[in-house]
Amino acid sequence: MAASISGYTFSSVCYHSANSNSDHEGFLLGEVRQEETVSISDTQISSAELIQVVEIHNHDPCAQLFSFYDYAGKINEESLNSILKDRRKSVIGWYRFRRNTQQQMSFREQIIHKQLTELLGVPDLVFLLFSFISTANSSTHALEYVLFRPNRRFNQRITLTIPNLGNTSQQEYKVSSVPNTSLSYTQVIKEHGAEFFDKDGVMKDIRTIFQVYSALQDKVQAVCGEVEQSERVKEKIQEDVNKLKQQIALRKRKTAEEEKRLRESQNADSHSTPEENTEPSLASPLSRITFHTPSAPERPSTSPNPPSYADLLSQDDSLLSSSSPPTSAALLPRPQAVGSPGHPTPGPLGMALGLGLGLGTSSNPVTTPSTPYLGNGDGSSSDSLDRQAAGQEDDEDDEDDDEEEEDEDSSEYENLVSEAAHLPVGSASILAQGRPAALSPDGDARGSQTT
Amino acid sequence: MNNMSPEVALHRISPELRPLLCSVVRNGRVGLDSTNCLRVTDLKTGCTSLTPGPCCDRFKLHIPYAGETLKWDIIFNARYPELPPDFIFGEDVEFLPEPSELPHLVQWDAGNPECLLQLVKELIQQYHHYQYQRLRESSRLLFEYDSLLEDPNYGRNMEIYAGRKNSWTGEFSARFLLKLPVDFSDIPVYLLKDTALDPGEDVALLSVSFEDAEATQVFPKLYLSPSIEHALGGSSALHIPAFPSGGCLIDYVPQVCQLLTNKVQYVIQGYHKRREYIAAFLSHFGTGMVEYDAEGFTKLTLLLMWKDFCFLVHVDLPLYFPRDQPTLTFQSVYHFTNSGQLYSQVQKSYPYSPRWDGNEMAKRAKAYFKSFIPQFQEGAFANGKL
Repeated sequence: MAASISGYTFSSVCYHSANSNSDHEGFLLGEVRQEETVSISDTQISSAELIQVVEIHNHDPCAQLFSFYDYAGKINEESLNSILKDRRKSVIGWYRFRRNTQQQMSFREQIIHKQLTELLGVPDLVFLLFSFISTANSSTHALEYVLFRPNRRFNQRITLTIPNLGNTSQQEYKVSSVPNTSLSYTQVIKEHGAEFFDKDGVMKDIRTIFQVYSALQDKVQAVCGEVEQSERVKEKIQEDVNKLKQQIALRKRKTAEEEKRLRESQNADSHSTPEENTEPSLASPLSRITFHTPSAPERPSTSPNPPSYADLLSQDDSLLSSSSPPTSAALLPRPQAVGSPGHPTPGPLGMALGLGLGLGTSSNPVTTPSTPYLGNGDGSSSDSLDRQAAGQEDDEDDEDDDEEEEDEDSSEYENLVSEAAHLPVGSASILAQGRPAALSPDGDARGSQTT
Repeated sequence: MNNMSPEVALHRISPELRPLLCSVVRNGRVGLDSTNCLRVTDLKTGCTSLTPGPCCDRFKLHIPYAGETLKWDIIFNARYPELPPDFIFGEDVEFLPEPSELPHLVQWDAGNPECLLQLVKELIQQYHHYQYQRLRESSRLLFEYDSLLEDPNYGRNMEIYAGRKNSWTGEFSARFLLKLPVDFSDIPVYLLKDTALDPGEDVALLSVSFEDAEATQVFPKLYLSPSIEHALGGSSALHIPAFPSGGCLIDYVPQVCQLLTNKVQYVIQGYHKRREYIAAFLSHFGTGMVEYDAEGFTKLTLLLMWKDFCFLVHVDLPLYFPRDQPTLTFQSVYHFTNSGQLYSQVQKSYPYSPRWDGNEMAKRAKAYFKSFIPQFQEGAFANGKL
């Protein structure tokens, strides 16, 4: 059994008691309820504990001693009723205060308690005993209180908890389970409650907060939709780009084959097509750099250079053969997050794109297919492949640009070579050769930008 | 706060309650053991601590009962002195008397100074009844009680205390306190007046403690009021026979009673016998009597002469005369011992019989003196110095 009393009731009882110059007594009003606690632990499935909780809401002090009983301790029911009036049904116990005595029920208290139990019909009537002990020199006074349930044979004393009185290590103020039964309090709450509570009894603030939350959720959902949309668009564009790249590659292959046939038929000794791919990596940064430059859709003077085209195509072949690993790697679809570059395009395409961006119009580099620079071109093409393999984000821009520059393949290839010339890698001589081509204003600018 | 003298208690108590406490403290004898009067301790007040003056209204009352001391709290209210008190019965938490059995509570009259004392007496009666109920747990002890109750000699003057069960062994213990109906009135007054304490009522109490319900461990003890104890010859008078195993109180108590009565009779008889003895000596030795104890008749001194040899005879009569022989001390008037005392000789064994009457004893004593003196004279001359 547990018992609790609200702080203000307790202090009120103490006040009445301490101010009386004799013993003091009164009645305790409240309610008793049963609480069932079901606890589940690892060791057992569930255990239900049934405890009785006594809550003391209020007290009714008696004006004087012997007000409802006589010298023999016999209760006069009329007097009892006149004291309690209509509060009789909420009586759950009574209390007594006496100074400098033991914490034990006295003879008369026991007699009265028995009679009260019968008269009020409360089987577990409680008795709260206050005892005030003062030291001889009145320096220390102790108020002791014990709650008895004398109708039981054992465990007659119950602990009485007063919320927020006692353990001072707790920082927070606990809300008491003992309700406030004052009429004035209920009235005020009813009057002003509408400002805080809505018709369902839920606090208004909670509702507004919930509304804010819902609004936020909606917005998030909308953004999700938009993102989905843009993702789909991007995906579609990516597909188109891929298709176009494939077409370019196809065309390149064709032109390369043609040129090869042409060359073979023209030249008895075929010039070695350097198949070093030492500069692909060199070219790639260059071309990479060019991608970063603000892609003003510069249209270098597109002088179709079939030879360069053919060269490139042949180079492409070699590239393709030489740099098969990166190529294959580049061609493998990679799982990419949203915003990452799409499928790697075949080297020459990308290369062409990059070169198309950054290179100025000069046919010079193109006209030096015999120079090892074409190897650079190879490198650059492979560079572009590598670039693709690395998953550069620039590819997107490049792809966009690619669409525009489809028609200017030859110029792209020119650019390619010139770009390759910019790279200060390995075969400096080759690069040096390429440099003049890069010295075209556009290229220069690019180059400066790129470097 | 303990061992408070009654006067201090009366001084501190609230003036309106003083008469009530006065009768309790001064005249209060409750129960059989009237040598211990009621004691008051732990005077406290029920008023606010700033109330001035004597305002104590609650105290602890110590009541001797059946060999125990009951410590009951009595609670008044100084501000309402006309109201009856409340009680806390100490450790006897189950003792709850019926108020209808307490007439002085039901018709409490604060103006009657004896009211509290009477109420306490009624409570003691109820307590006795309560103890009797507790005694019913042991049929053997109940039988003891009931058998004693039937005997009018003992039944009315019995207190029982049915103690708590021994929590270790679960044993039940009880104590019977009986007032023995022995008449002490004939004991010569001189025997009783030597006590330093106020003698009060002369009483002999027999306390029998049963340490178990089957009466296998029984410890009797006799308590005599101090004057009686002195009159009967000190603590040796308290030796009583052990409780016979398997015996009953109804057999044992009369036994003890008889023993005590006999002792008292002895003492009384002894007194008379001694008186007779001295009277006889007086008549026989007449002018030879120097002095004698005229109150207790315990000693006698004669100055006799035989063939110009004067000597003194001191006769000391023991308490249990005539059973015990008087001691004769012969003393020479001329001779001194080395230590400066008169030369004397003590004779404890001489022809004597308790069946002689005073006259006979005087005659025989005379004869003995005559036979012994020459011896004494020689001894005095030989060992003593003039």
